[in-house]
Amino acid sequence: MTAGSAPVAGEAIPPLERCITLTSMVAYAGATWDWHRLHYDPEFVAANRLPAPVVDGQVFGALLVEMLQDWLGPRCFVQTLDFTFRNLVFAGETVRCSGTVTEVGEGRLSADLRVDVVGTDGTVDRAAVAPAGARVLLGTAEGPGA
Amino acid sequence: MSLLTEDIRGLVGRTRTYIAPEPFGAAAGRYFGLAIGDDNPLYSDPEFARAQGLQGVTAPPTLICETNQYAGLPIGDDGYAGHMWQIEIPGTRLVRGGNRYTLHRRLRPEDVVTATWSISGVEEKVTRSGQEMLVLTSRAVYTDQDGRPLAENEETMIFVSLAGNS
Repeated sequence: MTAGSAPVAGEAIPPLERCITLTSMVAYAGATWDWHRLHYDPEFVAANRLPAPVVDGQVFGALLVEMLQDWLGPRCFVQTLDFTFRNLVFAGETVRCSGTVTEVGEGRLSADLRVDVVGTDGTVDRAAVAPAGARVLLGTAEGPGA
Repeated sequence: MSLLTEDIRGLVGRTRTYIAPEPFGAAAGRYFGLAIGDDNPLYSDPEFARAQGLQGVTAPPTLICETNQYAGLPIGDDGYAGHMWQIEIPGTRLVRGGNRYTLHRRLRPEDVVTATWSISGVEEKVTRSGQEMLVLTSRAVYTDQDGRPLAENEETMIFVSLAGNS
């Protein structure tokens, strides 16, 4: 999709990459009122034989929506979003959200999405979320229930 | 022995409702945007939001399904203060399967959220490596102060049998 053009089926969505630092995880814990020690406490993490604090999986849903909205602009509304967790992601790792448009209809599109953990060279290390998908309403910032 | 006991079957239909003690607030959405690194002005600039047809600032769309803000529950030993079913199945480990969100409209700062969770299904399956597992599906329906729908969140939790693990 170029500026001013409509999305088409098969089109790749510009990916979103984010390094998830422990600081951002602590901020996320505060913002969601979820202070589970798994997400920041080294002692709790070590006792559970994990290598580092675990990223809260639901943040990937937020990042997928951010990717879609950054691409489609403010006048869109994510109506459905589904995602399946594949592997844990740990503090300090970088994830890449990506997707492909599968269907475009009158005022809406559907897309297949995924989230991968990527290495410092940008290659995929493992899937964090897959499969995932969204249905997005186009031309409106508000949902049908408004 | 099957993981799907009569006690487990009896969980289907269990319901729990939480009513937020106050409106959601504009700061909650702005804070969440900051935390996830999303600088979309829909969450911080009322003029920009109104120019897009909204009543004012909103929150990142998935926040309503992610936050425990409405629950008013005490902080547990593990630090968690959100909705849980407190289901323990001996000889299993719990993993999260995934979520499916249906969003009906943008959250507004003045919304007072009610979240109603229910256990909608439980079924027994076998993993690709042959381990038994129990898939529990629960669903949250979020409504505003007038009972109008805001969002739904279907969540899958998987209890994987440890039998046969070394």
